[in-house]
Amino acid sequence: MNIRTFLAASAIVSGAAVAQPAYSEDIDLEFVVWNYSLETIQDNVKKFEEANPGIKVKVTDYTWPDYQDSIVLRFRGNTPTDVIYGGQDWLPAWGAAGFIAPLDSVAPAADVDALKADIAGFALTDVTYKDKIYGLPYYADTISFIYNKKILADAGIPVPTTWEEVTAAAEKLKAGGMEHPIVYEYNQELPNFYDAFVAQAYGRGAELFDKDLNPVFADPNNEAYKQLQWLADAYAKGLVQSETHESKIIPAMNTGKHAFTIVYTYVLAALNNAADQPRAGEFALAPMPGATHSTLGFAKSYVVTAQAAADPARAEAAWKFVNFMAGKPYTVAKRWAVEKGLGFGQLPLFQDKDVIDAWGKWADVKALGDQASIAKAGTYTEYSSVWSAYFRPLLAKAMVGEAPVDQVMKDGAERWNQLKQQFANR
Amino acid sequence: MRFRAGNGRRFGAACFSGSHRQNLTAIRMWTTKRFPAFWLLPALLPVALMTIYPVAYAFWTSLHSVVLLFPDEPFAGLDNYTRVITSNYFLDALKNSLVFTVFTAPAVVILGTLIALFLQRHFFGSQVVRSIVLLPWVLPGAISAVLWIWIFHPSFGVLNGVLRDLHLIGGSIPWLTSPRLALFAVGVAHVWTQIPFAVVLLMAALSAINSETLEAAAIDCRSALRRFRHVVFPEIKAMVVVLTVYNALTAFTTYDLVYAMTGGGPGTATTLLSFQIWRESFSMYDFGAGSAVAFIVVAISALLIVAITRALPSDLFASE
Repeated sequence: MNIRTFLAASAIVSGAAVAQPAYSEDIDLEFVVWNYSLETIQDNVKKFEEANPGIKVKVTDYTWPDYQDSIVLRFRGNTPTDVIYGGQDWLPAWGAAGFIAPLDSVAPAADVDALKADIAGFALTDVTYKDKIYGLPYYADTISFIYNKKILADAGIPVPTTWEEVTAAAEKLKAGGMEHPIVYEYNQELPNFYDAFVAQAYGRGAELFDKDLNPVFADPNNEAYKQLQWLADAYAKGLVQSETHESKIIPAMNTGKHAFTIVYTYVLAALNNAADQPRAGEFALAPMPGATHSTLGFAKSYVVTAQAAADPARAEAAWKFVNFMAGKPYTVAKRWAVEKGLGFGQLPLFQDKDVIDAWGKWADVKALGDQASIAKAGTYTEYSSVWSAYFRPLLAKAMVGEAPVDQVMKDGAERWNQLKQQFANR
Repeated sequence: MRFRAGNGRRFGAACFSGSHRQNLTAIRMWTTKRFPAFWLLPALLPVALMTIYPVAYAFWTSLHSVVLLFPDEPFAGLDNYTRVITSNYFLDALKNSLVFTVFTAPAVVILGTLIALFLQRHFFGSQVVRSIVLLPWVLPGAISAVLWIWIFHPSFGVLNGVLRDLHLIGGSIPWLTSPRLALFAVGVAHVWTQIPFAVVLLMAALSAINSETLEAAAIDCRSALRRFRHVVFPEIKAMVVVLTVYNALTAFTTYDLVYAMTGGGPGTATTLLSFQIWRESFSMYDFGAGSAVAFIVVAISALLIVAITRALPSDLFASE
């Protein structure tokens, strides 16, 4: 090969390389999650990479209690982060701070609208901030009142429909020798702790805030106030055993020493898992006690960061990834539902035979659907996660009798108003 | 025979002459005595970068409104300090921190001393026992916390199980969720994690005691307690004091066990000031308030050190 041929060949190769760098270079997406069922996440990512050559996804995980702090520090430290799990209580704060991007900035508006039409009401509320959709549901669930069917049947106790009936049932069981009929997820550092309280208050028909976002729960006639008083009374009567996490509630309920609990609905799937729980099949959900039987519905979501949205190539890849994980034909959402019992925000999946068959093994699917249909979204603002972190220890104090209910509710309302004013002034 | 540096220098000056002497003078120009600060720079620079800068930055943060959700960080003066001191948790956290410190630091030193005295003896399996005693030292705080959560668990915990088997209790005791017991339970776990370090240092101090002194004491005095008081303790008292100060600071600034075992609860029952630094900063995104709590902790820690060292006899570190 002479020099002229060599130079010509080099020019062709170089030209080809320059002509299509966007297609030949891999895009590496940083996907940050909390570490629930990491092997399933990794497997979903692998399937996405196989379907989308040229896009690699690196998964970084944190524990659930550390997740929010870690994400905020990543944002503030400009650590490369493209797609994250979002939570309904954090989303407005992250949106206001400019950490995350609305989906219409990375995806065709028509695509987002088509998906939006399929999302359940409370789930859509949870992924929306200032009328913009920031995420697609990773899962959407409700908080449920769960009871042990066998224990109640053996004791001749009907399923309680009000909190007063729960007290009566628990007292009867306690008189019969059950030390703590109610087991409660009591961990003031977890958002779940506040969510569970709101779900119970919703069961009574409570509104915690008015339409102008003023707190109304400090009124003794408010149903949330009454529910906190109910919890304090139940603890004072020795009816409740505290557990620090749902993972400990599952074995505790399976000892047969407790009849009632209030947890995320997907925990029912674990409670009734015959593979590793001795009392599988004994547990069922009942409508949340109270006048309305409503409960809290919530959605965790896949969210694209503002960092990713600022780079067109990354934005395109990030949207492809989010659409794969939460978009049509909802394969990944269905997988979570069938394999792990996670709820979903994509309404068409309620008609899916595989989902109905899988859920039928651990729950009354009709009861689940009925509960989802009357579930309400929480009230979330830019400052609600900050306020919740302040309010949860107060709730915890009131429950165990370390602070009076009226003082806790008053302090909580006062702090909400302070934050509302502080955020309005910034 | 012992050689002194001065002798060496005189010997060198006699041997070298001319250009050698000039070279030696040039070398002396760069001795550590002439430019001490220069020679210390390689050590001082990392210290400045890793310690002074973060501390100074934290102090700056405590004087500004630094909320992670807001881009601007305006000057706030002493507002952060005022707000945290007048908040509804501060007095509880301060009281808890002081109670925790007052009970756990002496407990670590007393138990550490007893265990070190026991392990000084040679008996069958003593090496194995020493290794087991040191085990908590190698466990990360989070692992220790998980272990103790299960020990204190109301339904499955070993502690309640043993107490029930001994018919000392009828029902289960909620160690970690009772406002009256939670701080005690966390304190027990904290003492357990700190004892190995105390044992190692006290065993080192005990092994440095002249064996002839101990033999003479054994002949003169039959009471082990009096031997400890009059012979052993004076020999290890400097180490005991160092450990007391160290453990007081460790207890006052402990965080990991509280975070993992109780989350500061129930309510504020186990909220320590050091835990509140984390809660303000990471749970409420308010780094200004978190830094203010941190500097209050630093100030109280300094007071603790001064108080402890002033309470000690003045001849403590004097050569015997």
